Amino acid sequence: MNISSLIDSLHPLEVKVLSTFAANPSAILQTEQLAQSTGLEPSQLSMAVEWLLAKSLLAVDTETVTSIVSLTKIGELYFEKYSPIERVLSAARDAAKTGKRLTIQDIQSREGLEPAEVSGAIGRLKKEGALLIIQGGCIESTGRSSQTAEAIRGLLQQLHGTPRGLQAFPEAQRQVIQDHAVKRGNAREPFRIDDRVARALKLSVTGIEAAQQLSRQGTAEEVSQLTPELLKDGSWRAKRFRKYTISLRAPRIAPGKRHPYREFLDAVKTKLVSMGFQEMRGALVETEFWNMDALFMPQFHPARDIHDVYFVKEPTHASSIAEPYLSQVAQAHRNGGGTGSTGWNYPFDAERARRLVLRSQGTAVSAHTLAAQPAVPGKYFSIARCFRYDQVDATHATDFFQVEGIVLGEDINFRTLLGLLNLFAREVAQAKEVKFLPAYFPFTEPSVELHVRHPKLGWMELGGAGLFRPEVTLPLGVTVPVIAWGLGLDRMAMVALGIHDIRELFTDNLDLIRSTRGAY
Amino acid sequence: MPTITIFKQDLEGLLAAPGEAPQPITMEQLEESLMLVKGELKEQNSDTGELRIELQDSNRPDLWCCEGIARQIRVKRRGALAKYDFLTTRPKSPKQLNVAPGLEKVRPYVAACTATGYRVTQEGLAQLIQTQEKLAEMFGRKRRTVSIGLYRLAAIEFPVTYDLVKPDEVTFTPLGMDTVMTLGEMLLVHPKGLEFGGILAGHDHLPVLRDAKRQVLSFPPIINSREIGEVRVGDDALFIEVTGSDLSMVVLTLNIFAANLADRDAVIEPIEIRYPYKTALGMAIMTPQDLGKSRKLPVSTIEQALGQSLGAQEVAKALTAYGYEVMTKSKNVTVRLPFYRQDLMHAMDVVEDVAISRGYGDFLPVMPSQFTVGGLSRIEEVSDRARTLMVGMGFQEIISNILGSPKDLRDAMRLEGTEWGQLVEVDNVMSQNFSALRQWMLPSLLRVEAASNRAFYPHRIFEAGEVARHDLTQPLGSRTVTVLGGMIAHVDAHFSEAHSCLDTLFYYVSQTYSLEPIQHPSFLAGRVGSIVSEGKQIGVIGELHPEVLERWQISVPAVAFEVDLTELAERS
Repeated sequence: MNISSLIDSLHPLEVKVLSTFAANPSAILQTEQLAQSTGLEPSQLSMAVEWLLAKSLLAVDTETVTSIVSLTKIGELYFEKYSPIERVLSAARDAAKTGKRLTIQDIQSREGLEPAEVSGAIGRLKKEGALLIIQGGCIESTGRSSQTAEAIRGLLQQLHGTPRGLQAFPEAQRQVIQDHAVKRGNAREPFRIDDRVARALKLSVTGIEAAQQLSRQGTAEEVSQLTPELLKDGSWRAKRFRKYTISLRAPRIAPGKRHPYREFLDAVKTKLVSMGFQEMRGALVETEFWNMDALFMPQFHPARDIHDVYFVKEPTHASSIAEPYLSQVAQAHRNGGGTGSTGWNYPFDAERARRLVLRSQGTAVSAHTLAAQPAVPGKYFSIARCFRYDQVDATHATDFFQVEGIVLGEDINFRTLLGLLNLFAREVAQAKEVKFLPAYFPFTEPSVELHVRHPKLGWMELGGAGLFRPEVTLPLGVTVPVIAWGLGLDRMAMVALGIHDIRELFTDNLDLIRSTRGAY
Repeated sequence: MPTITIFKQDLEGLLAAPGEAPQPITMEQLEESLMLVKGELKEQNSDTGELRIELQDSNRPDLWCCEGIARQIRVKRRGALAKYDFLTTRPKSPKQLNVAPGLEKVRPYVAACTATGYRVTQEGLAQLIQTQEKLAEMFGRKRRTVSIGLYRLAAIEFPVTYDLVKPDEVTFTPLGMDTVMTLGEMLLVHPKGLEFGGILAGHDHLPVLRDAKRQVLSFPPIINSREIGEVRVGDDALFIEVTGSDLSMVVLTLNIFAANLADRDAVIEPIEIRYPYKTALGMAIMTPQDLGKSRKLPVSTIEQALGQSLGAQEVAKALTAYGYEVMTKSKNVTVRLPFYRQDLMHAMDVVEDVAISRGYGDFLPVMPSQFTVGGLSRIEEVSDRARTLMVGMGFQEIISNILGSPKDLRDAMRLEGTEWGQLVEVDNVMSQNFSALRQWMLPSLLRVEAASNRAFYPHRIFEAGEVARHDLTQPLGSRTVTVLGGMIAHVDAHFSEAHSCLDTLFYYVSQTYSLEPIQHPSFLAGRVGSIVSEGKQIGVIGELHPEVLERWQISVPAVAFEVDLTELAERS
């Protein structure tokens, strides 16, 4: 790392410490001196020093260890309320004045001292000749003073609130301090001796370079954040802005966005509108009439079975079916009515026509449009939710979108049907190659299946279409030819979304929805 | 749409004229030819020659077999259908099948013939059985309208009687069993009796076919006799009968079998059916019989529908090469379907056959030229606007199933017995998970929330979509409404957060609203409001009730709102 990027990476605390050396780069400074000149808290200073040592900008010149004596909590307590030795001695003197006999138990209970404290104090006083132990476990003052008690008193006063170096005390006092210092196994002592390491620090060669460069950079204060205040008074000019490590990974955010599948459907929707299609909407609940009868599916048709369509529990039937459509459709089923057809030749059940089902095909929406005086020429589409009585698996959903619609016009015929499908192939699937295969749908004749060569998927079925049978259009009041078309887009959507299971189109996994890019 | 199994070598044999060598066909040619029959090759095994083919046209049962597919291809290759003599050359004293009185109320119609001179091969037998099953199942509506029986002719003495007997009056050994049983017992214990017995429900007399020696052929439409009604490889004389409830379908089915066996070089001998009651075809009917009717149509009708001038000759050529009988006269064609088809309902059916016979590739696509203006419905525009705003406010869109479970939609929302808990439910439930339409959006949002506690927070999700509101004042008993639902979930989710979003939304759709305190079991009391706009309640907002969160096993607070977009769309 070169010097300037090294300096850029420095923390403001480090800069402060280095700057202290700027006046005299070869100076050797004690920690205390550094604390004074930087004005840093001890914890901040020691952090900065450790960082600089780790970066080899700073080096330790000398290290001296000083023993410092200070009062422990017990010591401070003794300072306030006297030590056990003082208290035992004073109790013995009081007893001598009044002539009372004083037992060890008396002292213990009167002074509220621990037995160990009392016996320790008595031992020391007896040794110094300040006490006598007489018969019956009584103690008696000799009237002599105790050096220890006096020495402790003196030390407590000297050390109260101000720790001092151990070496500053004369030998005798040092002995007392060491005797009464906290040691392992004996925490109840008035004094503590700590080893304090005093370092003399100096700059390394790199450190000198850094300090010199820092001083050349001037004394501009480094800030981390541009603030309104800095902008307001223009003081940003005198600041330096701490540089960021921009190679770090950015924090995650979850943006608001459309669902990838909906995005795909939106694109289809936009495409259809651009080709001149008007959107149709319908209801989720339909009558069998609009869902099937109007589409000339006979009431005995296998796809109308209880195993293919969901029936509504309650109410079971619609209140009515609009006339004249009911009668006209019924007639077309029975004998063709006026459509030029033989019809299906069975007794059409008008009750059954009112039976409510969940819409099973988008063509039901088109049937409504046919009966609602559509524009001629006209193009319509819907993206309708449909329901099938299917076991749900990777390729079957019970609840899915169907993209389908109609085209009405005097110029509609088999060839314009193929032309429209060509357009879909090109615009919706970006496919240049198409194949038209004969197909069967109950409501169209002729019927076509559109196969295209998709740029990614190869040959695939894109949709089905045909000319609505006159048995469908005439009873609903439409006299021009009508194309009915439907596109199967789920496979394309799944490829665009990179999924292999149709259930994932409606996934409940928020992580997956958030992370799917979708196609655009 | 049946899917059938055929064998390539069998097909190749059938593509040749009687007595000729088999006509090899490449897979490419086959796929091309399958367009003639709306067939799609699903699977193939090049070792065994086995082909799985799906036939699309549910009105063309004649194509649901190897013979039918081969016939359609053969006709196209030769340009016309070969003659089937048995339709015109009738025996002087035909074999007879007598129908007993009373059957008009049970299973009125029967058709039958014999086929001799074709020695049944392994493949031929498999095709016979497959055709019998597919026709009875799909065309015959699970034997209700049509069922078929095949027998060894040698064991039968004519005349045969189609009789009506009491359930315990007749006994025989049915196929698949080794003991003699009464008809009543078969209905109770035989697998076919259990499967198809419902067709005869309510009748105290049951149909039975017996020959002159009173031996039972079968108990239609349930089961054949084990002795006579089991055709084996090597048999070269067959008796075929079809019974059912629809005369023309019964005759058509027999016609198909007669054509199929004739195509395998069998000699078909018609049988005279004698009814004690009137039928649409009289009281004595020779079967097989061509029921086709001629139909005259202007060539211009066909040309108009196809968008192509062809001329009467080209039309006639195409239809003849598809099996039709055609006569042309100036600007009209008179057409008649071959005897194995009955699917001509409208002139448009002829149009499609012309197109298929010529090949769809023969028609040059033309763009519809008339100008139309595209556009979205008002509700979609409003919905898109709301979605854009929600995305702008940092919400992730989701999409859910509309079909859900009452447990999620109502019970887990604490809405049992409330007006909010009324559902459009499914009658024929397959799975409780898909048995009711969602009546509001919040359960859809909770579904995602419940599954996503590992996705980093905060969660802001929305869906705009359809729901069904149960409403008996409506003609359909319900209304489909498009709503917007939004939900915020994280440790500090708060009412005001959702309120701000709602407020912003209303501002940008240029509508005003106010919140009125309500009681709603899905939300915490005192932290829920009805969204009222122009005096109408058009939504709800609130902090979700802890018990709701508990039931969905959601461990952070959630606040949500829902707005009726249909109501907003209808205003502007």
